[in-house]
Amino acid sequence: MEGRRARPRPFEPGAVMAVLRGKGLGLEIALGGRDFEDVLAELQSKLAERPGFYAGSPATAALGHSSLSNEQLERLRGVLHGHGIALEALSGGLDLEPLATAAGLRFMVLDDGGEELARRRALRPKREVQLSDAARSLVADFDGARADIADRRKRGEASVRRAIIAQPQPAVNLHIEPSAPGTLYHVGTLRGGQALSHVGNIVVIGDVNPGAELVASGDIVVFGALRGVAHAGAQGDASARVHAIELAPTQLRIAAFIAADAGDRVRTPIHPETACVHDDRIAIFPRGRAPS
Amino acid sequence: MHVLRQAQDDNQPDSTSQQVSLGRAIVITSGKGGVGKTTTTANLGTALAKRGAKVVLVDADVGLRNLDIVMGLESRVKHHVLDVLEEAVGLDEALVRDKHSSTLYLLAAAQTREKDDVDTEKMRALIESLRERFEYVLIDCPAGIEKGFKNAVVGAQEAIVVCTPEVSAVRDVDRVVGLLGNAFSPQLIINRVRAQLVKKGKMLSVDDVNSILRLPLLGVIADEPEVIVSTNKGEPLALRTDSQTAAAYHAIAARIAGEDVPAPTVEYKESFMSKLGAFFGGRK
Amino acid sequence: MSARKIVFTSGKGGVGKTTTTVNVGAALAKRGHRVILVDADIGLRNLDLVLGLEKRIVFDLVEVIEGRCQLRQALIKDKRFESLSILPAAQTRDKDAVSEVQMAAIVDELAALCDYALIDCPAGIEAGFRNAVAGAGEAIVVTTPEVSAIRDADRVIGKLAEREMPVRLIINRIRPDMVRTGDMLSVDDVCEILSAELLGIVPDDEEVIDTTNKGEPVVLNETNRLRVIYDKVARRLEGELVPFTNLDNTGFFGRLLGALKAG
Repeated sequence: MEGRRARPRPFEPGAVMAVLRGKGLGLEIALGGRDFEDVLAELQSKLAERPGFYAGSPATAALGHSSLSNEQLERLRGVLHGHGIALEALSGGLDLEPLATAAGLRFMVLDDGGEELARRRALRPKREVQLSDAARSLVADFDGARADIADRRKRGEASVRRAIIAQPQPAVNLHIEPSAPGTLYHVGTLRGGQALSHVGNIVVIGDVNPGAELVASGDIVVFGALRGVAHAGAQGDASARVHAIELAPTQLRIAAFIAADAGDRVRTPIHPETACVHDDRIAIFPRGRAPS
Repeated sequence: MHVLRQAQDDNQPDSTSQQVSLGRAIVITSGKGGVGKTTTTANLGTALAKRGAKVVLVDADVGLRNLDIVMGLESRVKHHVLDVLEEAVGLDEALVRDKHSSTLYLLAAAQTREKDDVDTEKMRALIESLRERFEYVLIDCPAGIEKGFKNAVVGAQEAIVVCTPEVSAVRDVDRVVGLLGNAFSPQLIINRVRAQLVKKGKMLSVDDVNSILRLPLLGVIADEPEVIVSTNKGEPLALRTDSQTAAAYHAIAARIAGEDVPAPTVEYKESFMSKLGAFFGGRK
Repeated sequence: MSARKIVFTSGKGGVGKTTTTVNVGAALAKRGHRVILVDADIGLRNLDLVLGLEKRIVFDLVEVIEGRCQLRQALIKDKRFESLSILPAAQTRDKDAVSEVQMAAIVDELAALCDYALIDCPAGIEAGFRNAVAGAGEAIVVTTPEVSAIRDADRVIGKLAEREMPVRLIINRIRPDMVRTGDMLSVDDVCEILSAELLGIVPDDEEVIDTTNKGEPVVLNETNRLRVIYDKVARRLEGELVPFTNLDNTGFFGRLLGALKAG
């Protein structure tokens, strides 16, 4: 079932209940950041002030970043039921989803960044796609390497290496202009032996020559010819993508997947392409045709 | 005795002529060995000197010196760069005048020393002082990207990058261009091209090479057996008037001097002429 | 029995060290030996390119030394041969990333896995050269019959002699036609100047550049005469006394001796 993003609500000290007007979502019980017993007591007293007023309304328990036990959930439910209010949904961190599902409640995840996105991607229905001449994963060759990358991830070691940029005399620094937090924005061609690594996305306006390396925990975009090695999703995000105007890498890596061009891809005329993990291996699609 | 004294006098660069501005220090480099850096340095120096410029060639390949051999001056070398850097001898005594051109000089490398022995800052200062006396200081860079490379590059303002049409050369040259950065405005010479092989698809074309390197092209030089002969004999080809290769070097020298030179009228194959035209007609 | 550890060096760049390392290694592998080729040219790696394996590099020599991966994970097996693997160099690092001691340790580790460990040395005589040599027990010096190459080979042989390392010579890119006209030094000239034991004479061949560009070692080409020549080099390395090939039909050595006498 598709989740919906819970709207962030300012915490009003003392406000236990708030009605969400016009949305038909009923009542929201603000439990986040407070002691459960306190909230329950306050809830009971508020409900007792206006008996029957809220009967028939649905309610959502908003946990924020707090946790909730099964027993607490049942008690809350019981209190609400006693006033004719049906607890229908739970909102909070992803870890609460199993609890909600087991209790038959709708779940809304608190939007805190990539988790939701990743979850949504995983939930999207797969569509039939036209594959271009695909890059084949050389599975047997890379077993050891992939296992090692996966191991490192499990141990919590980043696969993202430190940026190694050659500094000769006289030193010339690569021009780095962040366009947005989380994205490394590099203008200029990367030559053999140069490397960029970044926690986040990497955008290169220029070519990436053979012998150059890009390592990103997020996506990689090359507005030029990608001929070196690109590693997207280097910390384990297999939904990461590599885009290039000319996608002709020596080697492509996404998370722990590795692929090398078999050499028989037809690329004339040169057209922009996207590489992503599909059907358990790296596949390349013409721009706009990759499954979203 | 009389003859010897005369030879010594001849060996001194003309210190009476004044130079208005500092000369140009150009390093000739590649990363990859054996692509023709030394041959290019020797021939370019010869060609520039033939145009009347005052040129000094500096061999930065300490321990593996070869510029003196290629120039045919090995028997005249008495002192080398390290002697000058360590102030064991003055610059004037170390400079060797060329056999053929009176405005061309050589500063040889040491053969029995190591590249680590060179003090980088002193090298820079040496190049500076050479720029005060010569219009062109051509520095022959050793192969690799280690200390020898760093010493050769320090003090230079421009770079000429030499590459052959082979994938390993292109890869190494690309690395070096990356290391040089924007400060040297590197320009490219593609050496040892065999037009017949390019036509047969058995050798990279100029486009293949420059689609990766993306550098302004100074010239393309064909692979001729006469090159090996000339280096073995110690007589740079640029001295001759009957050689395609010599003509190519002269054209390059003219371009370096700022002339707008059209593609040299040599017998390059058809596919070349159009490519050269495209490159020389304007920047890519 | 531990493997033989051989470094291929030259001093002068561009004489064909990498091509020679690859083809001698391939010839040995074809003869049934387990061979590992090591690229010691950190920052300017080419061994992988010449074998056409550049796309399969995941880990490299420096990462093994730094403990970021295991040796077996960095080794790339060449599928065209029964028993040929390479350990690639790093491209985004410099020669100071490893020390002589580390290099020697790695080669020792490799020696347990093969019969021949062939080390491709970078050009020059700087740290890269010292590192490459540190791991070896014997050396093959590659030179071309040109004055500058011979001068550099001479320097290198001197340095190897300081380390008391046995040295043998391969003369590469010889052109018999030019030797005949006196435009190129003969084999005998070269050997005399360098006074080293001759391991092989490899003629200049138009096809070789194409093979290195394509990543297909010339020994795979059944019609190329270099195949036989590299096979002979392999046999000599094994210890067999193999006569040198006549490069043309009209008595190569006879003519050479004649030329030598003439001047």
